[in-house]
Amino acid sequence: MTRPRADLLLELADDELILGWRDSEWTGIAPFLEEDVAFSSIAQNEIGHARALYELAARDLGTDADALAFDRPIAEYRCAPLVQLRRLEWARTIARHWLYETADAVRIEALKDSDDVEVAGLAGKIEREETYHRLHAEMWIERLLAAPEGRTRLEEALLELWPYALGVLEGELRETFAARVRERLPFGLPEVEAIPRDRHEPELAELLDEMTIVRRSAPVGAQW
Amino acid sequence: MSDARTAEFLEFVQAGGQVETDDWLPDEYRKRLIKFIEMHGNSELMGVLPERDWILRAPTLQRKLALTAKIQDEVGHCQLIYRVVEDLGKPRAQCLDDLISGKSKFHNVFHYPTKSWGDVGVIAWLVDAAAIISQKALLKCSYAPYARVMKKVCWEESFHILHGRDTVLAMVTGTPEQFELVQEAVTRWWEPLMHFHGTPIAAEEDPMVHWRIKSQGNEDARQQFLDGYVPQIRELGLELPDPKLRRNDEGVWEYTEPDWEKLTAVVTGHGPASQERLAFRRLSRAEVDWVSKAMLPEAA
Repeated sequence: MTRPRADLLLELADDELILGWRDSEWTGIAPFLEEDVAFSSIAQNEIGHARALYELAARDLGTDADALAFDRPIAEYRCAPLVQLRRLEWARTIARHWLYETADAVRIEALKDSDDVEVAGLAGKIEREETYHRLHAEMWIERLLAAPEGRTRLEEALLELWPYALGVLEGELRETFAARVRERLPFGLPEVEAIPRDRHEPELAELLDEMTIVRRSAPVGAQW
Repeated sequence: MSDARTAEFLEFVQAGGQVETDDWLPDEYRKRLIKFIEMHGNSELMGVLPERDWILRAPTLQRKLALTAKIQDEVGHCQLIYRVVEDLGKPRAQCLDDLISGKSKFHNVFHYPTKSWGDVGVIAWLVDAAAIISQKALLKCSYAPYARVMKKVCWEESFHILHGRDTVLAMVTGTPEQFELVQEAVTRWWEPLMHFHGTPIAAEEDPMVHWRIKSQGNEDARQQFLDGYVPQIRELGLELPDPKLRRNDEGVWEYTEPDWEKLTAVVTGHGPASQERLAFRRLSRAEVDWVSKAMLPEAA
């Protein structure tokens, strides 16, 4: 691995943080109470993963997890455009959830083989929880595909989010991911340009602004 | 009570007996139970909204996790409590319909807006503290399934209080502006908190106590809250907006009589955020309505 470790960790952590923040937008208003509880758990897991990844990066960078999560200039955030999009309607939420979890599985599998014991260890821990997220996402894909309206909405959502999803990974990992997605679906997805990771959707600026509104109201270093 | 069977039932519950779902229940008891428990479920669900506004604004990763988990607990409580109502004969979908149409009620404190992170701390600490006093008394409820659910609810609420107190402590020991956020929140929430346990109706005149749905009078609950929390609030250097508030020589808390008409107005949908909250619930339910119709065709 030639990239500095912290770079890689921040990319992952930013994805998990921003997706976790987006998922938590469903807390209290999901379609069923059971689903509300499930989505809150997923949001908490993602944010927990982000925290663990930031903690590791923070050791290399001489800072702390909160500073990395909240206090960087927007230009330094490395999260994929897929996770930046604000709360989507339900079929799009499920499409994003499933696409992200599928991509994340490919990425985590690769990281578990990392020569860096700390990174490999953390990937193993994260993998244990992500398994449940994938089961949950898969269950919803199955349910939506089984109902005519669900299938129509899901197909539209997947088509719309496909270029975003491709941007989560690069190179061989992207190929593996695309093959897994296509294999699962009863309809095709087009060959499209991936939306690259360095693109910032306008929604990211709005989210970071809201995320830090309380934190910024006291001087740096204040306890909350 | 002319009916001998009802009289026997009353005697049983008044002596501390507990009944189960498949026991014979007098109609009036069942109706009162449904109304009371449904309002509790509604309150858990509506209680999500004031705090939900701050889920995106939590200032640290730890607070974010704690707040999301707390709100998740409230949704989980709603689910458990609605299940109790369902067993008594009222389906969940009906509870939700009656809630968003304004036909059924929810607790006064959830009719108010939240204005700062100070409110988030004060709600988790003091609103949940007031709630746990009522909920602990429900552990002795004559309807056993509800009492059992309260065990889990009380356990989780006690964590919310710790989370709230910790959030408040971080602010009162922080900058003067952070302290002020808490002081303003305490001032803002004091009236709703004094309303929380209801009018000081005598326990013997309270039909809920008569049927042993509740075992504690409203004023007893309020006294317990004041006794437990006024000293803690003052210890942090915070002031309460009631010049008459004091513990007298008999150990009873004296306070300025709250405006009970205002409480009635608030819980009947005329609180500062009542209509906005209901409108938001209606809107968010309409947005995902297709999901239940597509997934559960029988519900359509």
